[in-house]
Formats: sequence, C-alpha cells, structure tokens
Amino acid sequence: MEAPDEQLMLAYRDGDTAAFETLYTRHRARLYRFVLRSVKSRAVGEELFQEIWIRVIEARARYTPQARFTTWLYTIAHNHLVDHWRKRGLTLVSLEDDDTPGSSPDPADHAQARESLARFAAALAALPPLQREAFLLHEEGGLNVAEIAAATRTNEEAAKSRLRYATAKLKAAISDG
Amino acid sequence: MADERDPKLSQHYRSLEALEPSRELDQQILAAAHRATDRAHAPLVAPAGRHRWYYSLAAAAVLVFAVALTMHIERQQPDPEAAASASSAQNEQARVDEAKAAAAEKRGQLESKPAARAEPFAPDPKPQAPASDAAAPAPAPQAPMADETRVQREANNSQQGAAAAAKPAPSAAPARAARSLQVDEMRARSDADSAQQAAQAERARSEVSAMQRYAAPESAEKRAMAQAAPEKPERWLERIAELRSRGKHAEADKALAEFRRAYPDYRLSEVMRERVEGK
Repeated sequence: MEAPDEQLMLAYRDGDTAAFETLYTRHRARLYRFVLRSVKSRAVGEELFQEIWIRVIEARARYTPQARFTTWLYTIAHNHLVDHWRKRGLTLVSLEDDDTPGSSPDPADHAQARESLARFAAALAALPPLQREAFLLHEEGGLNVAEIAAATRTNEEAAKSRLRYATAKLKAAISDG
Repeated sequence: MADERDPKLSQHYRSLEALEPSRELDQQILAAAHRATDRAHAPLVAPAGRHRWYYSLAAAAVLVFAVALTMHIERQQPDPEAAASASSAQNEQARVDEAKAAAAEKRGQLESKPAARAEPFAPDPKPQAPASDAAAPAPAPQAPMADETRVQREANNSQQGAAAAAKPAPSAAPARAARSLQVDEMRARSDADSAQQAAQAERARSEVSAMQRYAAPESAEKRAMAQAAPEKPERWLERIAELRSRGKHAEADKALAEFRRAYPDYRLSEVMRERVEGK
C-alpha cells in the first residue's frame, strides 16, 4: 500500500530524501502541466515549476498536515503564479466578472481549430486566468471546489463560479464542432 | 455539480499533449532537495555557503578597529621629550623665582627694620617649597633649606635668650652682654647668608637664561611651533611641511594634530595634504 502524501512530506521534513523523491514522482507531471498551461510559455513554465518545488523544499519545516498535501502544493503553486503575474504587471482582480471575455484565441488557432481537440486547446488557452486555474486545479490537481477555494484564497462561491464558467466555455468550444 | 467531472471534458483534456518535465529538470529539483537536507544536518559551528563571509567581515572589522584605536592613542599622547624639557625649564624658573624672592625678603627685613634685627628669624614659610623639591639637582634650593635650619636653630637660641632675660637672674649684666654678642653674631651671619643667597640666585638666573638660550634645537622648534599656533594656518602648515621634509615625522604628526584641533574646518589642498601628511 502506498504511503499517503502527507506522511511522505512529514518524512522528508525529518530528512528522508527518498520520501521526497516518491512525492515528486507522484506529482511532477500534473503540476508541470498545470503550470505550463497557466503561463503558455514553456521556458517560463519550466522556471516557475522549478521555483515552486524549491519553495516546497524550503517550506518543509513549516509543513503540518492540516489539509491534503495536494491542496498545500497547489496553494504554493497558485501563490507563485500570482507573484509571477504581478511582476509582469498583470492583474487577476477583474476576472471575477463571468462575462468578461478572456484574451481571444489567436486567429490562426481559430483557423486551425477544425478538430475538436484543437478547439478545446484553444478554448482552454483563451479562458480568463482564474477560470483556467480553477479548471486546471480541478482537472490536474484533483481538487474539489472547497479545495480550489482554499488553494486560491477565495470563497467557495467564487471558486464554484469560476469552475462552472470555465466548464461551460470549454463545452461550448467542443460542441461548436 | 462542479465537483463532478464532465467525462467529455476530461477526455478532451487528457487527449492534449502529455507534457512532462525533462529529466534534467527532475535531477535539478531532486538535487536541491538533497542539498537542503544535507545543509540541515551540517554542524552549526562551521556554517557553509553564503554565511562564510561573516567571519572574514568580522575579522576585518576587528583589525580596522584595532589600528584606528592605536593611531588615536598615539596621537593623544604628548611627546615625552618635549614634556620633560618643558617641566625641567619650569622647575628651574620656579627655583630662581623663589631664591630671588627669599633673598629680597631677607634684604628687606634687614634693611627696613633695624629694630627687628634683634628677632630677624620669624618663621618664614617660603623656604618650605624648595625643601619639598629635594630631589632636584640644582643647587639653588639648598640655600633656603640650609637657611631654614639655621633660622630654626637661631630662633631657638633667641627664645632661650628671651627666656633667660625674663628670668630674674642674679647676674643680669653678663646675660645682657652675652645677648648682645649673640645678636651681633646673628646679624653678621644673616648678612653673609643674604649675600650668599643673592649670589646663588644670580648664578641660577644666569644658568636658566643660558639653558633657555642654548636649549636643544628640538625644544626651540617646539616653542616656535607653540608660538606659531595663533599664526595664519598657511604659515603653520608650511612649518609642518618643513618638519616633515626634515624627517621629523613625530613632531610633524603632533603639530598636524594641533593644527586640526585649532582649525577643524580648514580644507587642505591636495598638494598641501601630501606635504603635511607625507603620504
């Protein structure tokens, strides 16, 4: 039986690097996709991915299993992404407005989005960042609405709203074909 | 509702490109995790990495502080040679003054008070000062000291004589004759003493003036520097530069310190700074 994430993290906190390797192997791909699909740039995404894990390493002494390890991990990732966006002068504040359109997909993407998958990818990329984040946390991190709210430091209603609108837009993109 | 995944959406999402971190990225992160635990178990007494510079910085700070303190102490201490010559000159002058004063007082007592000649040895506090300076090598203090002992002895004699006169002696005439003999003897001795004192004072005065005239060139220069203090700063600096050029660095440093105390806001030109600081 596999050890739970929380136990592995506690073991790493106490100096067990093998526990960290197990934990990293378990979450590396999902976190990597979450980050890369949040920033749209592979180079930036890889840099952020590494920095997030470094933050996890540095924060190990303060780790207490109050919630699922996944929630803690994606909270760190969310905070780091917010810092990244702030540094670039971007803001996420107004995106609570569900009717606010996100950045439009590239026209070239539209032209090439003949297949359903391509349309889906374009729609995902076109989502407002907070809605996309909620969808990715739900899909990659496996977080429920309450955990998404905790990870993104918002209330459950807002988290549920973001996820609902993201899902609706992605469905619409698929059904267009 | 939102917690339930839409299978169609999930399927589409899973069908997207399967992105994964590179092996190199994995190795970097795992190496960082290993380094973090190694660092946590490192001995506290030998900090590594970015904390090592604390030690060299602390050592450099201690060194700078020690050098600055030493230089400060050296500048604060007076030149021992100058202090010694100044104190000896002061002592000589004091001795000459005292000898002169004592001689003048004796002379005045002897000349202006003929009636008091019978008792010329009233206690005189002046000679006590040279007696306290018995270790001084000059001959001048010896005169007042010898004079004091003589004064004391003769005062005793005088008191004895007075007591003898007050007594109802059966033979008063021989006592009076003896007393007049004593008075004559004391007067003669007193005159000789004052002549000797005057001669010694004169000798001491000439010695002091000779000392002042032919004093060592260093003390002469120091006096010159002391006299130059109220002069213009440019002239003072020239003197310091001259001292420095003659290789008298200690004196130049001292003079420069005095100059800076006298003119704390004076800005030295680069050329003058090089000349007076010798750097």
